[in-house]
Amino acid sequence: MALTRRQLLKYSGLGLLGAVVFAGCRIPDREFIAESPVMIPEDLVYGDDHYFATLARPNTGVESVLVRVMQGRAKKIEGNPDYPMSRGKHSAQAEAVLQELYHPDRIATPLRRVGDRGAGEFESISWDEALDELAARLNDHLVNPDTIALITGPLRGTLGTVVSQFADNYQLRRYAFEAVDQTAVRTVFNRMYGQDRLPTFDVQNAHYVLSFGADFLSHWHAPLHYNWHYGEFRGETGGRGKLVQIEPRFSLTAANADRWVYANPGTEGVLAMAMAKVILDSREGNPDGMAALRETIEFNALPMETVEEITGVKAGVIETLAHDFAANQPGVAIGGGLAAAQTNGLFNMTAVYMLNALVGSVGKKGGVIFNPPAPIPNVVSSAATNPLMDFQRLADDFRGNRINAVLVRGVDPAYGTPGSMQFGRAMRENVPFIASFSNFMDETTLLADLVLPDMATLEAWGDDVPEPGPGYEAGALQQPVVMPFVEGRAFGDVLLALVDDLGGRTTIKLPWANIQEAVRAEAQELWIKNRGSVQQFSNFEEFWVAILQRGGWWDTNATAPAPQAPDLSADPGKALPAFSGGASTYPFHLLPFPSHSMGDGSDAHLPWLQATPDPITTAVWSTWVEVNPRDADALDIREGDVVTVESAQGAIEAQVYVNPATAPGTVSVPMGQGHSSFGRYAEGVGSNVMEVLDAVSDETTGAFAWGATRVRIEKTGRRERVRKFEGMVVAQTLPHRTVYEISTGNGGGAH
Amino acid sequence: MAVDADKCTGCQACVVACQSENNIPINEPDHFLQRRAIQWIRIERYWEGEFPDVKARFVPMLCQHCENAPCESVCPVFATYHNNEGLNVQVYNRCIGTRFCANNDPWNVRFFNFWEPVWPEPLRNQLNTDVTVRSRGIMEKCPFCIQRIRRTTRDAGIEGREVEDGDVVPACVQSCPTNALVFGDLNDSSSQVAHLREDGRQYRILDHLGTEPSVHYLAKIDPYAASEGEHA
Ligand code: SF4
Ligand code: SF4
Repeated sequence: MALTRRQLLKYSGLGLLGAVVFAGCRIPDREFIAESPVMIPEDLVYGDDHYFATLARPNTGVESVLVRVMQGRAKKIEGNPDYPMSRGKHSAQAEAVLQELYHPDRIATPLRRVGDRGAGEFESISWDEALDELAARLNDHLVNPDTIALITGPLRGTLGTVVSQFADNYQLRRYAFEAVDQTAVRTVFNRMYGQDRLPTFDVQNAHYVLSFGADFLSHWHAPLHYNWHYGEFRGETGGRGKLVQIEPRFSLTAANADRWVYANPGTEGVLAMAMAKVILDSREGNPDGMAALRETIEFNALPMETVEEITGVKAGVIETLAHDFAANQPGVAIGGGLAAAQTNGLFNMTAVYMLNALVGSVGKKGGVIFNPPAPIPNVVSSAATNPLMDFQRLADDFRGNRINAVLVRGVDPAYGTPGSMQFGRAMRENVPFIASFSNFMDETTLLADLVLPDMATLEAWGDDVPEPGPGYEAGALQQPVVMPFVEGRAFGDVLLALVDDLGGRTTIKLPWANIQEAVRAEAQELWIKNRGSVQQFSNFEEFWVAILQRGGWWDTNATAPAPQAPDLSADPGKALPAFSGGASTYPFHLLPFPSHSMGDGSDAHLPWLQATPDPITTAVWSTWVEVNPRDADALDIREGDVVTVESAQGAIEAQVYVNPATAPGTVSVPMGQGHSSFGRYAEGVGSNVMEVLDAVSDETTGAFAWGATRVRIEKTGRRERVRKFEGMVVAQTLPHRTVYEISTGNGGGAH
Repeated sequence: MAVDADKCTGCQACVVACQSENNIPINEPDHFLQRRAIQWIRIERYWEGEFPDVKARFVPMLCQHCENAPCESVCPVFATYHNNEGLNVQVYNRCIGTRFCANNDPWNVRFFNFWEPVWPEPLRNQLNTDVTVRSRGIMEKCPFCIQRIRRTTRDAGIEGREVEDGDVVPACVQSCPTNALVFGDLNDSSSQVAHLREDGRQYRILDHLGTEPSVHYLAKIDPYAASEGEHA
């Protein structure tokens, strides 16, 4: 008997079938969930599902994932068990990529501005019209290509290659934007070891991890990968490693450390240098390391009393940590986060990363592992970004009418740059043509004349060279797992399509019709190499299917060459930090931090991430300011009080969260909120801490010193309960009963 | 299930994985103010001390699947019941919303749907078709991803083999990057959870109530533990 659709619905209503039936074969408007009236969860029967390996690109970095697809819909993100960087795991942030795909506020068609700039009035146009207009406007300005700025996020892999070749071909100005850039760390490894790529810190095999400000369990470099490392580091095999976190803010990594040491903001370099001196003087370092670094350390290390005074860390603690680090090898010193986000960030990072060379853990298991570049020469394998200084100059160029067109893709500099730079305003008032390639109406896209919706990650082709990598050559592939849900077009495809329509120079070949073709061309080169995790295929098509199924390719034998002795000849800049705002007017150090779930705010539009509690405060859907209990008493404020956090540059409102771990004299505010435009889940939630940050940068690298602003706190007199998870369940103290237990060592009795 | 508190970093991967797998309604801002947000697994954070000697401790909390579950005996319609594998499960469309079970659950891991869940179109496309969308007025809770247990059992049956230790992975366990969460059959003495139950650090939360929780915790290791004794 042939079953009609109507009959099927009827049967499934009566039977035990929990199935999804689509209204048609095109994209349906609605799904029916047919359920039996007495269905118990145990009796559910399943439809057919398929798993595809692809990439998720949340704010915390690129992850290789498997997507469960049922009836043409992506249902669940899971880690790719095969891929060396994820090993079957995925982050909260990657999970939410599903909500990017099915977001109710996704831009569905190309848009042309009809109202005033920034007023949000657009008309829907066809892709043909949009591409014609884009080509025409660019052709107008191509005689003077230096007046065209192309701004993207950090891009690796084939898309990175296509974008840089496109920019080079037409000699456009190219910028990579990241609100929280890693310039200081990159510069140090470049100078010391000639490395263009970020190294991997082998936490997994380390016995001792000394981290200066690097919040690697929450938001620094590759948090998913480092969480996995951390699990192994705490494992039974090889003993339980010790983690010491040194930083002025109690971050998630500090919360998980065996010991958290507070050091005054920006003094991490002085502290690390003092530790180096202790190790040197007691001859506990590696002989080669000590010989190579002796001069630098003796020149830079300050007397211990001065160090105590500057850092606020007692000499005894500094000495113990230094001896412990030297004695418990393999170990690794890591620096970043707030320690790098200072006017002396480069000095801090230089001093911290010197410690690895001093104890001889560079290039060793449990130490610093270098990553070779991509096996195919042209593929971009480093996601370096431009330092803040470059964007300050660009904003000046806007104001000087030296920029005629801005193409911006997937980043939001109008939101993510310090308020005092007035980047968005300069763009709005001075740039004749702005085109944005974006899925969402963020603050920068709102200023655009032409909006070209991109594909969501799960709809597009692409690839990635992980950075940091696993210590050997590796690449991951991205394939569409569902049909495009709206009329988006992949940014790379649009650029490649433009090549035919643009006049001007064509010195560099961009031979591919689209990104898929470009990725395939690169895969072909891998196939010819015939080594690594997928090899010995006589036919390219079979090889292609195999690497798509596996989600990538890697070769555990292709490691980086052994490192040279560190080169410390370049000047690391000033040892001491400078702050914006005098201590008498602005008594608090503002220590901002990327939101655990939403990062710099680029994922603030995803409701799962808005509702994910901050691990430390448990706050959700808001902007709060963490204040030490005694400071709160002195200011006569308590939790829920709305205060202004005010610097010389601006002020925002935030709700007080009294945090017992906040150091006196410091306050912390998460980044990522305060969007004026970014979809229903982001708009109007909280404040943007960038508005109070001064646009100060490291003198040598030009990197944004986002930890260098001082503020004062003023009451507004208003109170609102903090939206947080804490207190959802009423806390009761149970005498002599424990909810969590502490053991002092492996196997030792719990108490 | 075993939870190694020494490994949990509080990263929240398990929390969002569970929301996605189990069609948990979006926790809107007001739900937190009304204390009505739903998280079948949550990360509890406990403070100890004050600056500079301060510690934050993370405890993943979910239904403990008690052997003698106090939530079950009070349900007038048997919507919450014990299955023969020892799981505490909820028949959503039998629940009439008396909320007695929530009152009787000492761990506070049962949740009431105060509203009809809303997923603006086209967000609904993400919903897991293996899991019922719960309507307003009923209780819901963690069933250890029973849909995954069923799927694995069915697949093993088709392949003509037994389900092995590690085959069944609830969504939280699957995502947990530190491997702090381990799932398995406690009746199988060779399973990883059965081994972890014998660990010197093993304890159960609110063990004294005698409900025989099936979730075993392994104590956090702290070589610098400030004080002995009571924490709550
Ligand atoms: S933890 Fe609570 S909901 Fe779960 S079985 Fe025990 S009493 Fe019932
Ligand atoms: S995923 Fe694992 S490490 Fe992360 S919060 Fe959950 S239990 Fe803890």
